[in-house]
Amino acid sequence: MPSSLAAPVLGIVPENAEALVQRFETSPLLRAARSEALAAYFALASGRAPAGRYWKVDLDALDLSRVEVRAETTPPRIAATLSRGAIACDLATARRAHPQLLERALGTAVDARTRKFASLANAFGNTGAFVYVPAGVSVDNPIEIAYAAGEIALFPHTIVLAEAGARCTVICTLEGGAEGSFVCGIDEIVTGERASVSFASVQMLALGARSLFTRAARPGKDAHLAWAIAELGADLCASTVEIEIEQTGVDAQIAAVFCPSGDQHVDLVSSVDHRVGQARSETIVRSAATGSGQARYLGNINIAAHAQGSNASLRDDALLLSKKAHVDSVPALEIAANDVKAYHGATVGALDEEQIFYMTSRGIERDEAERMIVLGFFEPVIDRFPTRELRERIRAALQAKVG
Amino acid sequence: MSEPGLRIHDLRASVAGNDILKGIDLTVEPGKVHALMGPNGSGKSTLAFSLSGHPGYVVTGGTATLDGENLLDLLPDKRAKAGLFLSFQYPAAIPGVKVANFLYAARQAVRPGDLTPAKFRALLVEKMELLDMDPTFLGRYLNDGFSGGEKKRLEMLQLAVLAPRYAILDETDSGLDVDALRAVGESVRAMRDSDEGRATGFLIITHYPRILHHVKPDAVHVMVGGRIVKQGGADLAELIERDGYDKIREEIEAIA
Ligand SMILES: Nc1ncnc2c1ncn2[C@@H]1O[C@H](COP(=O)(O)OP(=O)(O)OP(=O)(O)O)[C@@H](O)[C@H]1O
Ligand SMILES: [Mg+2]
Repeated sequence: MPSSLAAPVLGIVPENAEALVQRFETSPLLRAARSEALAAYFALASGRAPAGRYWKVDLDALDLSRVEVRAETTPPRIAATLSRGAIACDLATARRAHPQLLERALGTAVDARTRKFASLANAFGNTGAFVYVPAGVSVDNPIEIAYAAGEIALFPHTIVLAEAGARCTVICTLEGGAEGSFVCGIDEIVTGERASVSFASVQMLALGARSLFTRAARPGKDAHLAWAIAELGADLCASTVEIEIEQTGVDAQIAAVFCPSGDQHVDLVSSVDHRVGQARSETIVRSAATGSGQARYLGNINIAAHAQGSNASLRDDALLLSKKAHVDSVPALEIAANDVKAYHGATVGALDEEQIFYMTSRGIERDEAERMIVLGFFEPVIDRFPTRELRERIRAALQAKVG
Repeated sequence: MSEPGLRIHDLRASVAGNDILKGIDLTVEPGKVHALMGPNGSGKSTLAFSLSGHPGYVVTGGTATLDGENLLDLLPDKRAKAGLFLSFQYPAAIPGVKVANFLYAARQAVRPGDLTPAKFRALLVEKMELLDMDPTFLGRYLNDGFSGGEKKRLEMLQLAVLAPRYAILDETDSGLDVDALRAVGESVRAMRDSDEGRATGFLIITHYPRILHHVKPDAVHVMVGGRIVKQGGADLAELIERDGYDKIREEIEAIA
């Protein structure tokens, strides 16, 4: 039995760094890499503003002194109907059975050395999943990857590699956990030419948990990439999603929904980097905050000087449903090219009284009218999630928050 | 139920601090059709909103009862449950809320549990046919991207589905093409011929006599400057169509 199982090491604090990695990792080679990653976590800045009047958490000073790390965890539950060489397996299996394939994608979309939380995820990576779709193969049914959080901190790494012309839909859910649960993970998508990947990330952790995610995709030429993100659970959720467009003809979409209620804090950063032209991106975000819920959203669109013919849109709408709730929403467009189409629109506001009156004038009680309007408000993003069943689950979770 | 009818007595209301309604007396009896006409800005919509409880319209005096029940004390949804319906001049769009779900929620609110979802669906299809509405509207978002005429038809569909005791139609006829107007007229007529709608009283706010050709009014009221200044039969609408409001204004000034 590995020593780490017998004695979980408590507390991710600089003083413990050496001991943590020693106990966590038995391979000397990997130990060095993990040590380096942990040092990077401590050294790097999150890039996000500190705590303030509304937002109560400093992402650069997270208290991880009670986070329990262990190398062994239960692998994710994976359900898939695969054919013609497609692979969907947990990360440990992938390392054993498909090391070369894995190597081609692992760490190629997320540069952890510059990312605080990706570094942390790498330092203690203890679970994960790998999806591979060979050239020209279409996986018709969604591939489902379900992570369950527990007492042991979870550091999942999910990797999708879709070859030229491959098609797949991946639904990645994160659930479970309790007060004190900690999850810090990476999702990476790498595709070849003309591939089409639809990836849904749904976080429904228990209250009291914390969830930190770094997500990135590198679509190939003429590839289609749709990333739908629902951050619904946990007390603290900080996640970034980034699409790097380095090939022409890319059609990329990011759709995100979140709704902090109670004392939940949600921090989301989306970035689309148009490094070459003749590509399209669409970012659509719908959020609401209720109770004392706090949300921060930063939506980046960068269009490089030579990325002529780019077409980028960013639409971000937020609803404030209570006095103590707060939403801080910042669209940030940096456009260096001149022959581009770029659109952005952002709103933050309360519910529309005319809409409420219209519904109540039909006999619908105010509370119910508000609920229907808020749920309707999320629909354009909910619509982007791949299956009816998943959409229903997201609706139910949102309904429970605004009900 | 002391006195049946939608009874408005000396109703005064203000909007954004301006007194708009300056004492309205009007009674719509069950099964009767009253038309309300008047120049732009005279306060017709203000009356409709004040009766249905829009929070922006403050009633400063007078009474309004619906079959004996005091409307003015009730929240908007309770007024609807009491049997009042307003067809909006400018219906709100509510993206994300499907027409079918909204209609079902409204029907359930006003008449809880009286129809199974399947029967409700059948009812919808029947009423939509009458209004020449495509069933695909049921899957669309409420008034979202609807044309002006489509919005008005949807108001009429709601009227048919909710079958209220009293219905105020605020310029439902405005912006309708000839066919749409006929469809609306037929829908209202069908409702008045049905058991559910026979006793419904109507207050039809309009600028034109043409809708009154489809739904014959028992009385026509003319509002100017927040007051009802003239009342008459169906022919009063034709008179206004011909002469405009100037003549009526002159009459008032002569009296004053
Ligand atoms: N929200 C508001 N704020 C300020 N004034 C208002 C508001 N709503 C209505 N008014 C004013 O109240 C008066 C009556 O308006 P109302 O909408 O009732 O007229 P109307 O008779 O329905 O006119 P129309 O035939 O054009 O529909 C107008 O002078 C209008 O400008
Ligand atoms: Mg009006």
